[in-house]
Amino acid sequence: MTCGMSRRDAPFDLCDISIRDASDEDLVKLSADMSLGLSADEMRTIRDYFAKEGRDPTDVELQALGQAWSEHCCYKSSKPILKEFVFGLDNDRVLSKGDAGVMIFDDDYGYALRIESHNHPSAVEPYGGAATGIGGILRDVVCMGAQPIGLADPLCFGPIDREVDLPPGVKSPRYLMSGVVSGIRDYGNRVGIPTITGGFFFDEKYTGNCLVNVACLGIVAREDLARNYAGGPGEVMILIGGKTGRDGIHGVNFASADLTATSDEDSRGAVQLGDPIMKEPVMHACFEVNARHLITGMKDLGGGGLSCVVGEMALDAGCGADVDLEKVPLKEPGLAPWEIWVSESQERMMCTCKPENVDEVLAVFDMWDVPATPIARTTVEKRTRLFWNGEKIFDMDLEFLTGGPVYNRPYELPTPSSKDGEVFPEIEDDCEAILAMLSDPNVASKEWAIRQYDHEVRASTVIHPMVGPLNETGPGDASVLRPVPGRMKGLAAAIGCNPWFAEADPYRGGMAAIDEACRNIVAVGARPDAFTDCLNFGNPEKPERLGEFREAVRGLGEAARDLGLPIPSGNVSLYNEAPGGHHILPTPMILGCGLIDDVRKCITADFKRLGSIIMVVGETRDEMGGSLLFRKFGGEKGEVPETDIPRLKRLMDELLQAMDEGLVISCHDCSDGGIAVAVAEMCISGHIGAEIDTSAMPGEDFRVKLYSESCSRWIVEVDGADVSRFMQIMNGDAFPLGITKGDRLLIKDNGTEVPLDEMIKAWSEPVWNIMGGKA
Amino acid sequence: MRPEDVRVCVMRIEGTNCEDEMARAFNAVGADAEKVHLKQLIGQAPSGLRRSLEDYDVLAFPGGFSAGDYVRAGALFAARIKASLGPQIKAFVEAEKPVIGICNGFQILVELGLLPAFEGTMTDCPTAALYTNDSGRFECRPTVLRNDNNGKCLFTSEIPKRKTLTIPSAHAEGKLMSSDPDFVQRLEDNDQVVFRYVRPDGSDADYPWNPNGSPSDIAGICNPAGNVLGMMPHPERVIDRFTHADWTRGYVTEEGDGKCIFQSVMKHLERM
Repeated sequence: MTCGMSRRDAPFDLCDISIRDASDEDLVKLSADMSLGLSADEMRTIRDYFAKEGRDPTDVELQALGQAWSEHCCYKSSKPILKEFVFGLDNDRVLSKGDAGVMIFDDDYGYALRIESHNHPSAVEPYGGAATGIGGILRDVVCMGAQPIGLADPLCFGPIDREVDLPPGVKSPRYLMSGVVSGIRDYGNRVGIPTITGGFFFDEKYTGNCLVNVACLGIVAREDLARNYAGGPGEVMILIGGKTGRDGIHGVNFASADLTATSDEDSRGAVQLGDPIMKEPVMHACFEVNARHLITGMKDLGGGGLSCVVGEMALDAGCGADVDLEKVPLKEPGLAPWEIWVSESQERMMCTCKPENVDEVLAVFDMWDVPATPIARTTVEKRTRLFWNGEKIFDMDLEFLTGGPVYNRPYELPTPSSKDGEVFPEIEDDCEAILAMLSDPNVASKEWAIRQYDHEVRASTVIHPMVGPLNETGPGDASVLRPVPGRMKGLAAAIGCNPWFAEADPYRGGMAAIDEACRNIVAVGARPDAFTDCLNFGNPEKPERLGEFREAVRGLGEAARDLGLPIPSGNVSLYNEAPGGHHILPTPMILGCGLIDDVRKCITADFKRLGSIIMVVGETRDEMGGSLLFRKFGGEKGEVPETDIPRLKRLMDELLQAMDEGLVISCHDCSDGGIAVAVAEMCISGHIGAEIDTSAMPGEDFRVKLYSESCSRWIVEVDGADVSRFMQIMNGDAFPLGITKGDRLLIKDNGTEVPLDEMIKAWSEPVWNIMGGKA
Repeated sequence: MRPEDVRVCVMRIEGTNCEDEMARAFNAVGADAEKVHLKQLIGQAPSGLRRSLEDYDVLAFPGGFSAGDYVRAGALFAARIKASLGPQIKAFVEAEKPVIGICNGFQILVELGLLPAFEGTMTDCPTAALYTNDSGRFECRPTVLRNDNNGKCLFTSEIPKRKTLTIPSAHAEGKLMSSDPDFVQRLEDNDQVVFRYVRPDGSDADYPWNPNGSPSDIAGICNPAGNVLGMMPHPERVIDRFTHADWTRGYVTEEGDGKCIFQSVMKHLERM
């Protein structure tokens, strides 16, 4: 190497690296050799900084910059777009926008929400990647002082119902799905937090790069809401929990580059190892020191490990930090200082406290058998300095270190799909088409996974992920928790995302994700209150990928803004590209949260009685673009469903009013497969047939009415005696569709009959058969 | 005893995770439940936090994955308890105080030798075990239990015989097995069978109504004295109607099916 790397004469492993005279070429090579993931421009900025400081950097300093300036940590490509469309979204119900967002729950409590991705680790090591994803998201909620109360895991894989060509180094979708579900199960169940909702999305475009998004909800007494930064200079930083090892080194850099054919061998070390049984006491002890107000702030160690957490906790408090790096407890001897500084070993938290409280804080952690070690002090000057047994090995300006570059990268706006060139597929037999859609893995029962997750632990799950008669259940919409024992107020949570809409029209796809989350929440009787978003996209250095990102973010940002609802937390995952440059579907994953004052008014999707009136709420339009019918039967192009936010608001208000008056017996969101699949699902979960006729609905083609996936629609069951009051509230926004009757779905428009038992079989069995059948 | 004088020790170590709802269930029937770490009972805590088991009237082992369950479920926690608190627990049971273990707590009671305990209060070695479910998977699903006890078990004293209760299960290892060929018969002879899995109409269960394949559909058993109950399903999760999986399909009472088990304990102690 031309950049001279000289090992310092010290009883530990440290190199000084002369870069002040290095050429661009040398800098690029240095970045690659040290796995820094930094560009020539960024390396030049660093060279100039150290030239100004009048010395060369150490390896610890360069590694820290590689972490802090990664896409994962500093959002250098996405920040300008997020700033334009999402960051400003706020309302007076937001209590905090820390590591997790916190919203008002009631006068005494707040609820926390956050979603993030663990995509690349899960693609290499599905079990460990998913498990540590759960661990990380739990810590984000815990460090707000909030007790985690529910997990939600939307997952995207390649097709599981047919053989696919696997690019070199790519694991089979079934193997990945099995490993990811096991990882979520073992971590979530062991730590005792219910997994209450989620989603599965299957498409060829996810074959080379699966998505594992993990979300967590929490509850916190408002007086115990914690900060994620120190109280000021002169405080002590205490490292809590697991020991530090070589697992998870360069995790953020791994997350900030495309996957390659050799990611498995190259990046295995970037995947951390989880320990849920350490997490449990860590949580208890953190809550105790927080509730007793012994600490001033806490934050989890995630991407970038110590290198990120120390700087951020200090700088956000307007100070700096002096760290005694040799005090960090290690899993094994012999780690170099730079490895300790950037390791992403799991189950670690940092808290800050006044010096006089250190002993009491340590006593609490000791009681729970959780290691806790003071390793640093906050200082007045905004610099981070690292010492190893008193010898200085790192001394950097914090604003430079955490400032990071920001890029306005070029983007190319996509051409949205439209009615131009639309091909509506030939449907010979609607019965077969409906059964085929019900058994598509994107629609079919996910009971195989749901029942492996404990969705009832903590005894607060009011509306479960599956609904209907015991052990003969069908699909639900949102799940509902009762987070405060003894109170009837409920918190609803649901995923919204349609990556096929987002591919055909990213702007409308972004809006539709918000619309779907709202639909699911309203379907159980709750009012949408806040969103958290995980934005999974391809390589932002490719203009067309960044164009998709920009349009999707614009769509969801505008939708949330016009609803008057905040997005108090979120996460961006770029570079989701497989070997050979195959990119994923643009996937703006939304977790929506809603509130309901009395959970006893919750509604579920299963048909309850024979002889009820079935209505469709909302407008069905000729919007077949991205629909399940088109995807499955070779349709092309078509208008992607548009979300009209004022109309969505009006419909939600009307429907919630009808529910509050007790007029709605069951309600289901209308999405994949349109009205046909939504009604079929209500038959499946209720074990009751239906007769429907679309002729009372506006529109010409009955197949468009049956299968269009227009947004802002629900199917509801209403007692005949309540229909006139219901119609009065809905004020022209609801249309009669049919009645619950018999043991088949009869579509009177053309006499199609789909037997109930065939629908149940078609929907219930496919995923069991693929992933490993019932006992 | 008055309900408010009933002190319940809900014991936990790292990995127990159903202690909050277990304590709430006892509080819901008027008792004074306290979550107590094993270390507090064996003198490994600051003086203000130390507790003595004999000061409690009820001992409850909640569900979870105690110490990770990386060996046999419940084995690590049971070994730690036996080594540090064995004589006190034995004395507690011999004083005929109620002891309940749910899910992982049931597994712990079996590992401790407190169940089935055909010979003596607490056998030196476990004589049964909870095996991996026949499905090989963790199963979180509703189950229906029938009270098959003839009157010995104090935890079902207020539940009519043969009554069915809907109580959810969530475990990977719940198949109660023993090398004793007469195991089920001995349980029957001693009136130690408490709950069986059944179908909603009360008929014999098969999968998924028996979620683990437990022989004779056994879901819960008591000791020969009737004061120690172990069961796999979670009554503490259904203290009111609104955590049942199917309540939106109609209900007659806001009380949940699990509450009567905790009420039975209180009624029993009231008579003391």
